[in-house]
Amino acid sequence: MASLEGEAIVLRVVEYGESDLVAHLLMPEIGRLTVIAKHARKSRRRFPGSLDIFNHLTVRISRRRQSDLGFLEQAILRSPFLNLRHGVRHYALASYLVELLDRMAPEAGVAPDMDRLFDFALSALGVIGELEPDLKLRCFMELKAFDALGLRPELEQCVRCGDPPRGPKVGFSVPEGGVLCGVHSLAGGSNLLSVHLGTLRVLRQALIYDLKHLGRLGLSGEALAEASNVVFRFQRFHLGFELKSERFLEESLRGVA
Amino acid sequence: MQRLVESLRRLPGIGEKSATRLAYFLLGAPEDLVGELSEAIGRIKSETAICERCFNLGERSPCKICSQPGRNQSILCVVEEPADLAAIEQSQSFQGLYHVLGGALSPIDGMGPENLRIKELVARVRAGQVEEVILATNPNAEGDATAHYAAECLAPAGVKVTRIAYGMPLGGDLEYADHVTVGRSLENRQLVQ
Repeated sequence: MASLEGEAIVLRVVEYGESDLVAHLLMPEIGRLTVIAKHARKSRRRFPGSLDIFNHLTVRISRRRQSDLGFLEQAILRSPFLNLRHGVRHYALASYLVELLDRMAPEAGVAPDMDRLFDFALSALGVIGELEPDLKLRCFMELKAFDALGLRPELEQCVRCGDPPRGPKVGFSVPEGGVLCGVHSLAGGSNLLSVHLGTLRVLRQALIYDLKHLGRLGLSGEALAEASNVVFRFQRFHLGFELKSERFLEESLRGVA
Repeated sequence: MQRLVESLRRLPGIGEKSATRLAYFLLGAPEDLVGELSEAIGRIKSETAICERCFNLGERSPCKICSQPGRNQSILCVVEEPADLAAIEQSQSFQGLYHVLGGALSPIDGMGPENLRIKELVARVRAGQVEEVILATNPNAEGDATAHYAAECLAPAGVKVTRIAYGMPLGGDLEYADHVTVGRSLENRQLVQ
C-alpha cells in the first residue's frame, strides 16, 4: 500500500455511512483526490477540527493503487482561513471558487502542473479572506482560476491568425477560447462577444498580477460588465452547467460595485 | 428481508452492515416490540407538528418549550436543527426560547438563505420582547458563516447578538486538539473561582 504525505486543501466533505466522511482534497503534484476518513464523525482524536471546507492541512493518505480511493490516515490543521467564515461575501466567493476547483481540477495524477493549481488555490483563499469581495474580484479570481486549471483564454492575439487585436472593440469567441482580430471579428458572426481593447488589457493584467494586488486594477461600469460577461460565458462553456454556489454568490455581491 | 435492509439503509448513519444487523435483530425480536416500533414509525408523520413559532418538532404547535410559562421570552437561541435544540435542552443551562433554522448555509450543496428560516427569525425579533439572540450554529465553516449572515440580518433590529463560545470539550485532550481550538480556549480563559 502506497503512502502519500503532503499539503492539502479541503474542497468538499460529505458524510458517508455510519461514521465516515468522504473528502475531496486538492494536493500539489497530485490534483484532486477523493479520500475516505474512517470513523471521522465518531472520534474526537483522529481528525480534530480538520475536515472542514477551505481548511489547509497536512495529510497522510494510504492508497492501494494510484487510481483507488485514498484512506486518510492523519490530517493536521495548518490554517482554517477563519476570515472566510466571518463575512457572507467572503464565504460566498470562497465557496464558489472551491466548487469550481472541485468540479474542474483533474483527478489524481493525470495532469501536470498541479503545484501551480494548488499554489493558486491556497493564495486565493487567503486573498479572498483579506480583500472585500466584489464583482471585480470575482471576475479576476475566476479568470485566474481558469488560468491555473490550464484553460487560460487567449487575450493577446487573434485565435485564428495570430494578429494582435486592433480597434476600439473586438470580438471574443467563447468556443475558440479567445479574441479575434478586426478581420475575423467581422467574419465571426453574431455569436461573438464584443469587448473593448481597454477591457482586454485589464484582463491581461489580471492574469499577470499577483493575487494580493488584484485590488489595484481598475475595472468598473461597462468594462466590468464586459469582462464579467466574457469570463462568465467562458466558464459556462467549459463547465456546461451552473455551479450550485453561483446563485448565492450573485445575491451576496448584488449591490456591491 | 431484503426490502427491510434496503429501507433501513436509507436512514442517516446506517450502512449495509448495520441495516442487516438491525433487520436480523427485528426478525428475532418479540412480536410486541416489532409491533410497537412499526406503529411508532407509522404515526411519526401524522402526530408530529412543526412549531409555528420556533420550528422545533413536537406533538403540537406551539411546542412544549414555546408554551412553557417560566421561559425567558427575551433570549432567543438560534440552532441549525431540532437535534441541536435537544442537546442544549439536555444541558439545562438555558431557560430562554429557541429558533430552529432548518440547516446551515452551504452554497456548494445549494443551501442558500432562502432555504433557512432567517426571515422568520428577523420577523420574530422585530415583533418585540427579544433582547438577546444567541447564535448557536455549529462551529464549522457552514455554521460560522450562517451565524454571521444571521447577525447581519439582525443588525437593523438593534438587539444584542452573541455567539456561543469555542473551547476544549469536556474529557478532551489538548494533545489531540487543533491549534485553533486551543488558541480560542486560551483567549476565552476564565478565572478559577
